[in-house]
Amino acid sequence: MTLFPRLVLVSCFIWAPLVEAADKKTSKKAPEPVIKAAPVATRPVAAIAERAAVWHTWTDKDGRKVDAQFCGLSGDFITIQTRDGRTYHFKTDILIPEDVAFAKQCLDRSRTNSFSREIIASAAVDVDRLVAAVLTANQQTPNAPATDEEFLRRIYLDATGRIPTAKEADAFLASTAPDKRAKLIDDLVFSPGYSMQMFNWMADLLRVKDTFGKGIPAFTFEDWLKARLAANTPWDKMVAEMVTADGRLCDNGATGFMLFDAEMPLDGVSNLMTTFLGTNMACAQCHDHPLAEWTQKDFYQMAAFFGATDGKDEGVLREVNRLAKADSAVNKAAVRKIAEMNAFRLDDGAKQSLTLPKDYKYKDGKPGDPVAPSLIAWSKSDKSLPAYNVSTKNPAQLRDEFARWLTSPQNPRFATNIANRIWKKAFGLGVIEPVNDIDDLAQASSPELLAHLTFVMKAAKFDLREVQRVIYNSKTYQAAASPTPDLGKAKYLFNGPIVRRLSAEQAWDSLVVTAVGTYADNVLLRRGDDIKVMALPPGKVTMAEVRNAIDRTKKAFAGSGKAGGKKASGGSTMGLANGYEGAKPVSRFSLLLARASELPQPSAETHFLRLWGQGDRLLADSATNDGSVPQVLQMMNGSVGRLVSDPRAEAVMAAEAAKTPEAQVHSLYLSFLARRPTPTELTAATRSLADGLAVTDLAWVLANTREFLFIR
Amino acid sequence: MNLPISADLLRNPEDRRRFLEKCAKVAFGLSVLPAFARLASAAEQRSAVKAPNAALAGFGKAKHVIFLQLNGGMSHIDTFDPKTGPGKGPGDSVSAKGDMQLTSYLPETAKVSDKITVIRSMTAKVGVHASAAYLMRTGFEQRGSVQHPTLGAWAQHFLGSSHKTLPSSVAVNRSSNHGNGWFPAAYSPLPILNPDDGLLDTKSPVGEAVVGKRAALLAQLDAGFGGKAADENVKAYNEFYETTFQLMKSTDLKAFDLSAEPAATRARYGKSKFGQGCLLARRLVENGVRFVEVAHGGWDMHATLDDRMEDVGGDFDRVFATLIQDLEAKGLLESTLVVVATEFGRKPTFEGGGRGHHPLVFSTVLAGGGVRRGYVHGASDAKGYAPAADGVSPGSLHATIAHAAGLPVQTEIMTPAGRPMEIGNRAKPQLGVFS
Repeated sequence: MTLFPRLVLVSCFIWAPLVEAADKKTSKKAPEPVIKAAPVATRPVAAIAERAAVWHTWTDKDGRKVDAQFCGLSGDFITIQTRDGRTYHFKTDILIPEDVAFAKQCLDRSRTNSFSREIIASAAVDVDRLVAAVLTANQQTPNAPATDEEFLRRIYLDATGRIPTAKEADAFLASTAPDKRAKLIDDLVFSPGYSMQMFNWMADLLRVKDTFGKGIPAFTFEDWLKARLAANTPWDKMVAEMVTADGRLCDNGATGFMLFDAEMPLDGVSNLMTTFLGTNMACAQCHDHPLAEWTQKDFYQMAAFFGATDGKDEGVLREVNRLAKADSAVNKAAVRKIAEMNAFRLDDGAKQSLTLPKDYKYKDGKPGDPVAPSLIAWSKSDKSLPAYNVSTKNPAQLRDEFARWLTSPQNPRFATNIANRIWKKAFGLGVIEPVNDIDDLAQASSPELLAHLTFVMKAAKFDLREVQRVIYNSKTYQAAASPTPDLGKAKYLFNGPIVRRLSAEQAWDSLVVTAVGTYADNVLLRRGDDIKVMALPPGKVTMAEVRNAIDRTKKAFAGSGKAGGKKASGGSTMGLANGYEGAKPVSRFSLLLARASELPQPSAETHFLRLWGQGDRLLADSATNDGSVPQVLQMMNGSVGRLVSDPRAEAVMAAEAAKTPEAQVHSLYLSFLARRPTPTELTAATRSLADGLAVTDLAWVLANTREFLFIR
Repeated sequence: MNLPISADLLRNPEDRRRFLEKCAKVAFGLSVLPAFARLASAAEQRSAVKAPNAALAGFGKAKHVIFLQLNGGMSHIDTFDPKTGPGKGPGDSVSAKGDMQLTSYLPETAKVSDKITVIRSMTAKVGVHASAAYLMRTGFEQRGSVQHPTLGAWAQHFLGSSHKTLPSSVAVNRSSNHGNGWFPAAYSPLPILNPDDGLLDTKSPVGEAVVGKRAALLAQLDAGFGGKAADENVKAYNEFYETTFQLMKSTDLKAFDLSAEPAATRARYGKSKFGQGCLLARRLVENGVRFVEVAHGGWDMHATLDDRMEDVGGDFDRVFATLIQDLEAKGLLESTLVVVATEFGRKPTFEGGGRGHHPLVFSTVLAGGGVRRGYVHGASDAKGYAPAADGVSPGSLHATIAHAAGLPVQTEIMTPAGRPMEIGNRAKPQLGVFS
């Protein structure tokens, strides 16, 4: 069987049947809701069609055939999986037109296989009832419903990561369909932008970075994450895959999460606890936690699950370096890179060798004592849950056993952690804060709401798209935004979402859409393939293979760095020139106009994205929305200020095409603020157009309004 | 414990948030979200934390710090700690001013060495560049679960911002690289990647008339969402815009503009990025910036050490001596502490024309800011292999600089994640270096 040219090897999970009865045992762990909300799972869901695999013989334009099932379609790119379980991602234009049409049908079918609108709506009603009851009990009321204009801009930013174009805004605002909000939500969560914004959000949480340690490229991790998001793999499956991943980073991108801390495995464990469980054990790494109940022993017992795991293949490293030493003609730096890349892998040995540290000072152990793996619990009854029934006999299986406990719906914090984080993504504030320290659930602003969201997360089988559909369809989300609450005075009980500054990625992607319209939605960066060429074949290492790998690498990265402008710190421009598989990005004022997810991770320090708070990805949750003068300087005078007011900008061209000054102002308001101007604004803006300002100036002004920077 | 608020209160998220606010202060004429406006005024009124070290010699003399980072690992034996015997490098030991020995690679420094303190007993355990550089920059060993701040950020936390509109910390020839640590992002040093370019984007690409009209229209169109009833965070951005408009008109910006320096001065510092970077550092401290880092690369001399000491070392020698003389001439040396830091030293043995990494003993230099003049603090053994007596850790160096800068050392603060921390990771300052 011939495979299509330049297929990208990824792999993906096929949609599992969506709903099973939620595990009743787990709900008793969370505080009992004061309001009895009808559980999502008891709704009539039997009618939902199972997401059966669609096998199909795909044919390319040269007549070659491959038998595979459809996994996903994003822009011009399709993902399919062959019977051997391997997944391929490629541009649809190599397929015969019938198969392109078939792929679109498959996409539509995956939409119909998701929860029906009715089920989503009733789950949203449950959320609203709960929020309303909590508000009433506290003598508060929900905010008034958001206007169509407010909702439109908010849902575009949250669900697709960017503002709508003037055309998209107009289409929604002009529609009189009664269900137009629900329909828009569904359109957006199944659009390419959905995966892009989810990538940005997860990249901050999972510390997605172009290079690890001493400059080891980690593009395979990025590609893996993008493939999982395109296939909408449930969160529990993704996490289990990351935590149990084996092999080299260059072969298996899923190893990226664990390998990030390969040099500091103990830090890795505390990061994992924070990211997936909202549990802060960092203090307990060195001494008993001064403020929480975790002891240093607790920490070491958890870390022991990773005590047989090794992040570096010293054998390969030594062998390659030994061979290279005897070869004077070879480029030593290139050899070192190949050696490092091939040594960078996860493997589990036969022995779990973690011991208590040299300075251990507590009575329950002595320095150097071996540590037996044992799971932490948040309450006394936790340990009687079946999920705690893990086997620690086989050291090589410890990570798998840990992952089973970690991602189980019975885990006392796993579902709550992700539910709370997803809620914060939509509302600007977690039900419990800080989101990376949720040990004491009673600290939640509403423990009932938190328990219910946990329940929804489990009922949706950790399908984050479905959970967000529920949230977006709720009246609570569709209410007018509240001003930033003073949490020092009172808990915030979610009268509506909070007024938020756009994240760095939302701001950048919105500016990009005003510059090049929806074009950037189809610009996809996939560089993982290029580092796969650095892999040495299995078996004995030979110098000839090392040389081949160096040659392949050189070829793959030829022309690197030219497309990305100057490299400052952060963000590798390596492979950028030929890493774009969809449309190629437009470049203006030395800015590469691709979505934030399709640019170096993270961007260089002086780039708009970093100035506006994109995280450096050294720690989880490192993005910020702090303000600074350099931000404003760049918006007003720098490349970004020029970008928005450039005559080539889509938003400017759309306005220029309008016949009257009023229509021009109208068009620009839709492009930048997704709304129509008020009469006062219209008068002021048209007057300024008559008074020497051009359409380009007006574009600059609107991009610099506070309204542009915030989600209402 | 001397916490801003008590530890058990930090279990409560709201109290943590309040703590965060307490940490937050005006930076670059502005502060952090949320609730900016309140913070800004609170910050100005904030009384200084009582420093347990306030009564000790040298406290608070340094109003400014210039922190030079020699990246790659400066060989102590070939610079500030010359040796005779088998470990001796290609350079000879020569008598320098201030009754100390330096190598012949530092002829210009030898002329100002009566104004400096050399610490020859620095000691650490980390021999990997990035981690060792992190340790020297922050005073803490690198961890995967926390980012530690630079002294500039610590100073901003304890003392507030150093100027109304200018930033309190600037990083020259390097990125800021999370220099704020756990403090608000606004405490991160402002990176100037090229000293000749200065601060970017301070001039509008359109004419003044259009700028005025744009600004007027912006004010009108922003009256709705950004108006009086606006959210606090929206108001914060109103202030950022206001500050930026002011800054663009203000003469403070000249601090970043090297073209305002006399040609002779620019020539004296030399054309190298390090030279112009040090000149920029002097201009910045002269104008009220508290903490300036300047990076200098090329010190990883595994091979051809002789050539590279002349080249890289020569550049450093001329620039450093010029900086000291210039600060002295301008009357700034007593209020400005210059620190020469490097991630580690180099081995006493030669291999392949150079030396390997050697963190066990190395040298740093302090000048100005109330430290002794013409003084050698501590010593390495005869070979230059280990400290002769007690060594000075990077944490202790940080505590020393902090003490000079008037910061409370051995005083705990609580990070937003609820971890107690001290400047220099609990190490004590070296009080012997102060006059």
